[in-house]
Amino acid sequence: MKANPRDVNTGTYYMDGDVAAGHGALAAGCRFIGGYPITPSTEAAETFARIAPKAGAVFIQMEDELGSIASVMGASWSGVKTMTITSGPGYSLMMEIIGLGAMIEAPFVILNIQRGGPSTGVPTKTGQADMMQSRWGSHGDYEIIAISPDSPQELFDYTIKAFNLSEKYRCPVMIMSDECVGHMSEKVVIPPAEEIEIEPRRFYNGPKEKYLPFKPDQDLVPKMVKAGDGYNLYITGLVHDERGYPITNQKEKGKRQQFPTRRLVDKIRLNADKIIELNEEGMDDAEVVVVSYGISYRVAIRGIEKAREKGIKVGNLRLITVWPFPDKKITELASKVKAFVVPEINYGQIVFEVERCSHGQANVVLIPHGGAGVHNPDDIAEAIEYAVKEKKKIRKVIEWKTRLEKFVFEGGYKLNK
Amino acid sequence: MNPIITAFANGIKKSGVELSNMVLVSDIPFEPEIIKELGVDFFHITRGRAIAFGTGLKLGNPDLKIVAFIGDLMTLGGNHLVHSGRRNMEMLVICVNNFVYREIAGTPAPSVSPGFSAFSTFEKPFNAPHLANSCGAVFTARWTALHTNDLTNSIANALDKRGFSVIEVLSPGPNFYKDINQIDSELLDFYYKNSVTKNNEDTRNVEITPGEKIITGEFTDKEKPTFIDTYNAQLSKILGDKFIPHGGQSGGD
Repeated sequence: MKANPRDVNTGTYYMDGDVAAGHGALAAGCRFIGGYPITPSTEAAETFARIAPKAGAVFIQMEDELGSIASVMGASWSGVKTMTITSGPGYSLMMEIIGLGAMIEAPFVILNIQRGGPSTGVPTKTGQADMMQSRWGSHGDYEIIAISPDSPQELFDYTIKAFNLSEKYRCPVMIMSDECVGHMSEKVVIPPAEEIEIEPRRFYNGPKEKYLPFKPDQDLVPKMVKAGDGYNLYITGLVHDERGYPITNQKEKGKRQQFPTRRLVDKIRLNADKIIELNEEGMDDAEVVVVSYGISYRVAIRGIEKAREKGIKVGNLRLITVWPFPDKKITELASKVKAFVVPEINYGQIVFEVERCSHGQANVVLIPHGGAGVHNPDDIAEAIEYAVKEKKKIRKVIEWKTRLEKFVFEGGYKLNK
Repeated sequence: MNPIITAFANGIKKSGVELSNMVLVSDIPFEPEIIKELGVDFFHITRGRAIAFGTGLKLGNPDLKIVAFIGDLMTLGGNHLVHSGRRNMEMLVICVNNFVYREIAGTPAPSVSPGFSAFSTFEKPFNAPHLANSCGAVFTARWTALHTNDLTNSIANALDKRGFSVIEVLSPGPNFYKDINQIDSELLDFYYKNSVTKNNEDTRNVEITPGEKIITGEFTDKEKPTFIDTYNAQLSKILGDKFIPHGGQSGGD
């Protein structure tokens, strides 16, 4: 299905990432955003609020982030595409209801323009420390999809992709961008509507009395209807059967309780190959592979250039989709390369996934960053150089001492013995 | 709970509301049989968020008639109650007040009066109709679950209103409550005998105080533009022809 021309402000612009995401949401067919302003994501909500009324879409500033995400769940089941926009502290508040969304299989998108944390942290500067939270933030077992754009153009393109994925798999989709990309102004091309592919909702159109809201199709995703269409829906956050009714029978509970959640997990895990999008370059003869995402990828490009100038063979793997994690790809590479180098703006999150998938075959080097800024490409180049030279297999994540860390902490804290 | 559902079913029948447009949102899980009987759509969601969830449903499809059945209205749901009243978000909120949290024995809710819980709470309770009225609700009422006819009428009246309506229903607590407080099964009867109906009473005077009669009745009934009305009016003023009014009964898409 193509985008509706009414929703697409075709043209070539110079705009920041947040604004591009607002345009992307509308182009994707988003009809409702419930949001609560928070730096550095506010411009995205503001943009949507400005352009939405001309396309018949609504923005409401809710009373808090809990209200925002709950309203998004409601709007999703009313039959429209929907999204909320937030950053660190707001994202934390939303966690409980993200679990509800996974459970009732409401398609929705969250744009998280990450900032430095924890707590209020550094509201106006960048961070990449919510990556694990997006995967594990709500209680219980569920799977989500997370993508990490690296430019304003991508915030437009991948916001549309996020909507498409959420409609296709009926799960929470997080756009895990960061302040740097959100507030970076670059050229953004918004193509004509007929060039934008959008995924329509999977509506059920069989006989009314036969509809089972949680009976999956071949790909494990069930079809959806709209609230108020006379299907006598019963949708609950309790563990439920295919009809949606809670499983209350104590005998059945023990036997059947795990199965509904098994599907929530498997509909993403078994479809992972279709979902995952990666960008790889220079892999053929690589001795070291740099694994990065979001703004860290753009910084890594320069670091890799510097290492290549010294004749080192470096591959560049970018995780466009961070969740589900590309386990297979990393394991496959681990048997071929000496080491992985992972620059990320936190003290180690995705690096542990890389270590898990490398199964001890390759060394793993973390280049940490405390946030409020990006890496120095020289650090990345030096870490690559070290990784190539290191002969020993080191059975833990090696933490690279960056210039910044050496300067501020003089090589790191030590406990007094 | 059952007398309330009966009153609700009769209330729907009495009002002119189309059943297929009605969506129930609740933080209390209903028996599936009840929902089947009622013939409406039902969402059981996280504690206290029914009003916010209903807001999304209403704005996603303005033709829907939203009813929020809430147990946790004034704690977890407090902020949503306050702001939806302010916005006059079109929905009916039925607050089922049994003064305790159902599954947590003897824990007092913020609506409980002193002397009503395990260790006798000493905190001052909320006066729900007054809270709702002050926040801007267009319709407020309070009944006990035994006032079936009155409750039915109020639900029908509220369903016909355009705006944010709140009905508080005093209902007997669950078994836990009885055990802990040694209040016997005549609790309901106690409510009924100790209540007095005063329609149009100023909500400031309807606080539930131990030893005094519980005041029931319809307290607020006024007209105000709804959220969608004001949204459409404001944006038409600013955007003129470029604005596509938000549909449903209020907008006319």
